[in-house]
Amino acid sequence: MQYLYLEIKKTIKLFPRMLLQAILLMMLISVIAFCGVKSMEREPLAVNVEIGVATKEDNWMTHMALSYVENMESVSQLCHFVQVSEEEGLSLLEHGEIAVLIVLPEQLVEGIMNGQNPSVDVIFPKDVRLEAMLFRELTESGAGLLQVAQAQIYGAIDTAKAYDLTERLSVIEADIDSYNLAFALDRLAMYDEEAVSATGRMSVLQYYAASGVVIFLFLTGMAVYPVMQRENPAFRRQLTRNGTGALWQSFCRWLCGFICIGLLMCVAWVLISVVTSLMPGVGKHLTSMLISGRNHGTLSARIGIVLLMLVTVTTFISMIYSIAGSKTGSILLIFLLSVLMIYLSGGFVPSVLLPQVMRAVGEVLPSAYLIRAFGGLLAGYRDGALGQSIAGMCIYTAVFGAVGYCIDWRKNDAV
Amino acid sequence: MIAVTDITSSYGRRRILNGVSFTAGQGECVGIVGANGCGKSTLMSVLAGTLKPSSGTVIYGGRTAWSKTGAGRMHGDRDVLRTMTGYVPQENPLIPELSVYDNLRLWYPDHRILRQELEQGFLSLLGIDDFCSKQVSKLSGGMKKRVSIAIAMAGMPQILLLDEPSAALDLVCKEDIRTYLQAYLRRGGTVVITTHEESELALCNKIYVMKNGYLSQADNHLRGEALVRLF
Repeated sequence: MQYLYLEIKKTIKLFPRMLLQAILLMMLISVIAFCGVKSMEREPLAVNVEIGVATKEDNWMTHMALSYVENMESVSQLCHFVQVSEEEGLSLLEHGEIAVLIVLPEQLVEGIMNGQNPSVDVIFPKDVRLEAMLFRELTESGAGLLQVAQAQIYGAIDTAKAYDLTERLSVIEADIDSYNLAFALDRLAMYDEEAVSATGRMSVLQYYAASGVVIFLFLTGMAVYPVMQRENPAFRRQLTRNGTGALWQSFCRWLCGFICIGLLMCVAWVLISVVTSLMPGVGKHLTSMLISGRNHGTLSARIGIVLLMLVTVTTFISMIYSIAGSKTGSILLIFLLSVLMIYLSGGFVPSVLLPQVMRAVGEVLPSAYLIRAFGGLLAGYRDGALGQSIAGMCIYTAVFGAVGYCIDWRKNDAV
Repeated sequence: MIAVTDITSSYGRRRILNGVSFTAGQGECVGIVGANGCGKSTLMSVLAGTLKPSSGTVIYGGRTAWSKTGAGRMHGDRDVLRTMTGYVPQENPLIPELSVYDNLRLWYPDHRILRQELEQGFLSLLGIDDFCSKQVSKLSGGMKKRVSIAIAMAGMPQILLLDEPSAALDLVCKEDIRTYLQAYLRRGGTVVITTHEESELALCNKIYVMKNGYLSQADNHLRGEALVRLF
């Protein structure tokens, strides 16, 4: 117990220094998080479809109709019409300079007005690109709308004739026209709105908050080296000789590391609380953005999850100090492994954006369970996710603990 | 007091100690000399119980410290090794971030005894009381070595094992340690010391030379070049 007492005394004595290092780390993490959030905030995908329009005659009505369509807001955001001849258009289409070529027949507008309805040729390239696919979808939707409108008109005419209401036909047609135009001009009426996020259930802020906490926990392992690095071999052997075994030595160092990392986390939490209390508006807004969803668990369950996270991280760090031996080696190894694990687990860039193999590896790393566990505290847990995270953390804690102890035991060379 | 018989120790396939044997009586000082890497520190580790030998026996004051069990495995009696010997390794077994007093408290469970030793006991001879409150990392090499000896003396062992205690120390420190060892020997303690210092060899009743893991007794009066020729 005397050894534990002295280790704790050493921890208390060295804590201010470790705190300072942790503050520097927090600043580093904040910069990383800021860059991460900025990289996630991208402009919506802008599609500008270059469309060639070939007219078979120089008809002012056709030009006017084309100009009207081109200047419609819903069209101008997506398409840009280029007046070309048919041969020129085909050549551009072949070279991929336009996504699609529309060939307008002679007397187009007049034909629509007199009911001849001349057909418009829409020519797509052989190798279909995104713009062409999009335009094909739009064209097919438009053709579908026209078919429906045509059917409505014919249906209205037949109905009017059957009930002898032909004098009211112009009113019925006007109603049908206004309904169809309103429907066709409102693009949103055509599509369902669905938000797709690479961060899953979590918002970008929640996602980076969870990743940030895990990164912070791992990197505090570098700040706590004074209490977690192994004492010199002479000291360890002297301890073992005097009956303080490798297991107790490892446990004492682990406990001091656990206390330190826990205290550093508390200090970070207090600092954030103080800052948010100084700016109540920001604090409230931030809290509402960070905490969402349901099924966060009870307060004691949440404390338990945080403690389990601390235990897992401390055991991992303790194992690294046992493996590396030297201070520089340990710090380097903690940094490299932490960054690698968190990267693979999607802590910097969401894992859905990583290659399949990296995703598969990242899914089962301890950092993935830690991010999911803390993310669940913010966004709520899916069914079974909490149990999965707890099981993952427990298994890793046991493995890290056993490996660390075996190394300590072997290195002690004692009786 | 000390009876070491046919001790062997290997590191992988390499044999470090080859049938080392020697004896030492109460109040005697045994000096072990030899070139660097010849196995002196390995022998001291075996004697202190921090390294398991491959074979042989070690007996302290009639009590077996190392022996072979019926199954052919080496067994070390931790109690004998701990209570009979005090060990001063080459590297100081100290926590640099804590004070000298805190370091000593780890090895002296009874604080009253520690205070007594510091004020008028063996530790006062080492002059530790003068820098007891200082942080270990701020001490000189000589001060640290004195604290290491103080740690080895916890529990008043009858045998003191010192592995090159004077390495890299100034003349004053060497003299202080020599004086302390003389006092310890006068009180009936037994000392086994590995050293390159002639002043420390002057304390020794027996001098052994270690070469390639073999130990052989040398003439007690051999010094300087004549002794080095035996390495």
